[in-house]
Amino acid sequence: MKSKRKSAQNVPPREGSAAEGKRDRKKELTKDRILAAALELFREKGLEGTTTKEISQRAGIAEGTLFNYFRTKEDLALFFFQKETDDLIAWYQGNTHLAKASLPEKLFAIMHRQLEYLAPSEDFIGAVFFRSLQPHSKLNPLSLESQQLRLRYLMFIRGILAEAEEKGEIPPLGDLGSYGVGLFYLGVVAHWLNDTSEGKQKTLAVLDRVLHGAMRIARKEGWEW
Amino acid sequence: MGVVKKKSESLSRAARIFRLGAGVAGGYLAHQVQRPFLSEDEAKARRQSLGAQQAKRVREELQSLRGPIMKVGQALSMQTQALDPAWIEELSTLQRQAPPMHPSLIRAQFKSAMGKYPEEVFRSFEPEPFAAASLGQVHFAVTQAGEEVAVKIQYPAIREAIESDFKALRAAGFAARMTGHLKESVVQEAERGILEETDYVREADNLEYFRKHLEPLSFVRVPKVYRDLSSRRVLTMSRLGGRRLQEFLESNPSQEMRDRVGAQLVRLFFFQLFRMKALHADPHPGNYLFNDDGSLGLVDFGCVKHLKPEVVRCYGQFWSREWVQSNKIYAEMVRVAFPDEYRANARQVRRSMEEIKRFYDEFHPLADPPVLLDLGDPRFMEALGQLAKVLLKNKFLSPDFLFLSRTESGMCNILHILKTRVRTTQIVRELISPEVDRSSR
Repeated sequence: MKSKRKSAQNVPPREGSAAEGKRDRKKELTKDRILAAALELFREKGLEGTTTKEISQRAGIAEGTLFNYFRTKEDLALFFFQKETDDLIAWYQGNTHLAKASLPEKLFAIMHRQLEYLAPSEDFIGAVFFRSLQPHSKLNPLSLESQQLRLRYLMFIRGILAEAEEKGEIPPLGDLGSYGVGLFYLGVVAHWLNDTSEGKQKTLAVLDRVLHGAMRIARKEGWEW
Repeated sequence: MGVVKKKSESLSRAARIFRLGAGVAGGYLAHQVQRPFLSEDEAKARRQSLGAQQAKRVREELQSLRGPIMKVGQALSMQTQALDPAWIEELSTLQRQAPPMHPSLIRAQFKSAMGKYPEEVFRSFEPEPFAAASLGQVHFAVTQAGEEVAVKIQYPAIREAIESDFKALRAAGFAARMTGHLKESVVQEAERGILEETDYVREADNLEYFRKHLEPLSFVRVPKVYRDLSSRRVLTMSRLGGRRLQEFLESNPSQEMRDRVGAQLVRLFFFQLFRMKALHADPHPGNYLFNDDGSLGLVDFGCVKHLKPEVVRCYGQFWSREWVQSNKIYAEMVRVAFPDEYRANARQVRRSMEEIKRFYDEFHPLADPPVLLDLGDPRFMEALGQLAKVLLKNKFLSPDFLFLSRTESGMCNILHILKTRVRTTQIVRELISPEVDRSSR
């Protein structure tokens, strides 16, 4: 079941020549290079202040080539989150400690990992959050593109919750559980963006307490802060 | 003037703090926690019927909280006179058990405080805690250079939590302040003290200060600080050997060993008081480590208090009792121990001083040769509790002395558990005399 999920995440290997596979890999590398260049520029000049021309220059490719990969800065942002999700899932699956950890610890570690991934690009994330409020943006939570990405994340979370259900850690929550976790994560990111405490430690405290509290609620033990 | 209630003072104060603290933590919990303390009559009836089961439950409730309420529990467990043994036992386990931070939270908090993960900084780092500290937990690790260390890591955002708890405590404590038992200055002092404990840089300073000044006592070890591996929320120290009090007692030490260790504890306490005029202010058993050769380790310097010389002098008078003969000394003592703001009248002052003299004459008499005080004798602990009650009733409220009495009774509590016998007056007499460099060490 695990392997099935894994293969579904990556681009499905199309039947074709070895050359085609090589081209795909090259394409991926170029995309990574563009993203790295773009993130650098976003850090320096902000999302709005960066032009596509500057991105292509920094990445060392023609501006026309850039458009082959990413039509808009929003596509770039989506790619960023796609990479983030890839990174998260691969990291989680390779983590032997977490496999044995309790559910609140698992979810804590996952979200902390996500925040650490976002940390170097904090300003960019803030701008993306703002953009995502615009109805026509692809970053809008209701856009099909972002829903696709979101679905992958939710499926990943559902797998973790299903394990906990099997172990009897929580009662069966169905898909509602993963929706809840997904929404909570968005709230955590909003909190994190506005967290001015030293080392953003308040976010850690909130994350830990809410996860423990939610576990108690799920187990119908009563809320406890 | 508020009506003076006939409640047992320490218990009603405890109940008040409990109610306040618990109120902050949420209604459900408040209900659970305050029940056994509601009123003296009720509490009395319940205290007798309360089994260890219920004490355990309250302890668990307290444990699930973070912040000052834990400290309140610890302070309460020191109130051996006010509570039943079952309660003391449960509450005292709070000292080493805090709600645990799981390894992922520890990693995250370490990164947040130090900018790197523990595994990037240490050669090895134990993800499971060795012990819970009051505001965090302690993990063993090995530095890149191969040195064994203890790393204390604080709960995230504990400072903010404490500040908001005290805000609520202030609002709720208004009534208490009006009756004069819980002065704003006392609340402020408590808040300042607990907040200070959240700054591990300060604790590192304390550690170094005590390490240096306790050098003359060859039987005491204080951890060394690793400044480059510490910050405000992480404190890395050398690891001390030794066992905790409970484990030490389980090894069935001989009476001779108990007496030796007890004498050293007493010497350590009064050396700090009379020579350093600074006290390790958290004398709960968890902060002492006992080695097989009788030497001691002292840890947790989050709470340290520097005392005014006149306070130390006045306290020394309790022991030397020169004031009984000298009006001048008596006047000075009254001035220091009964500041005007607490409005003790002449009768209350006299009552307090009489009670102090009676206690010291009975247990620390000026006999020659000095007597061996049996600290395992329950009568001693009872008398100590009785003394505290009488003093409190007679407005003996100077914060310096409240602090001293709390620390001293904490120390006596350890000595009591240890069932030790000590020539207290002899040790105090040696240390109280003006400092002379003794060539014999």
